[in-house]
Amino acid sequence: MTTSHCHDRIELTREVIPSSAMAREVRADEDGAVATFDGCVRNHSHGRSTLYLEYEAYESMALAKMREIAEHLHEHYAIDRVAMVHRLGRLEIGETSVFIAVSSPHRAAAFDACRYAIDTLKKTVPIWKKEFFADGAIWADGEVPPAPAASADAETPAAEPASN
Amino acid sequence: MIVKVLYFGRLKELSGSSEESVEVRDGARIEDLFAYCSSSRPELRKFRASLVAARNREFAAWDTLLQAGDEVGFLPPVSGG
Repeated sequence: MTTSHCHDRIELTREVIPSSAMAREVRADEDGAVATFDGCVRNHSHGRSTLYLEYEAYESMALAKMREIAEHLHEHYAIDRVAMVHRLGRLEIGETSVFIAVSSPHRAAAFDACRYAIDTLKKTVPIWKKEFFADGAIWADGEVPPAPAASADAETPAAEPASN
Repeated sequence: MIVKVLYFGRLKELSGSSEESVEVRDGARIEDLFAYCSSSRPELRKFRASLVAARNREFAAWDTLLQAGDEVGFLPPVSGG
């Protein structure tokens, strides 16, 4: 059973990520620490100069997976609030592509949870990055998300309503 | 029955569409759907080993049985962050 964490902010956006506001919003009076991760667009990749990036997502699934990450943080770390926003569309060098802020009463949980969140996002959230160079563009090497090896279809599927 | 297929990233570029409706037989599994979708687009086949499938926004095994109205995504390695 999962609890609803109404103060969390989990979003995809095509606008500039409001990172300062996010870091401020997770902070409550009982918190002694806010850890943040700011993922930004680097000007080089595999020895080539990057011009800009484009991100796309399977948006409904990406949001669901980001919410799962936040739920995991609440279940496994002594944290207070989570804010996690990923940007989509074209991003220029130096712009923030993902920003995560985690608040907690004590710093260790905030650091650990923030690290878990970005590591897991990069492995499991269906978002893709295309890198544009002076002489072409490539889809970035990614990570293959862990998926079930075999289905549980040996069980009888839930009864479907008869079709008309 | 009809299922919805979604393509992302390089698969979207290779397939020339981001979304299509496909009629599959009862008892079809996700791997059957991919075989059908890639039969007319052989360039998709070489990516099969690096893809994961999603059914209704959850990662799914290739042998998952399809049901009418399912939304199936073929997902290249993810590179967010």
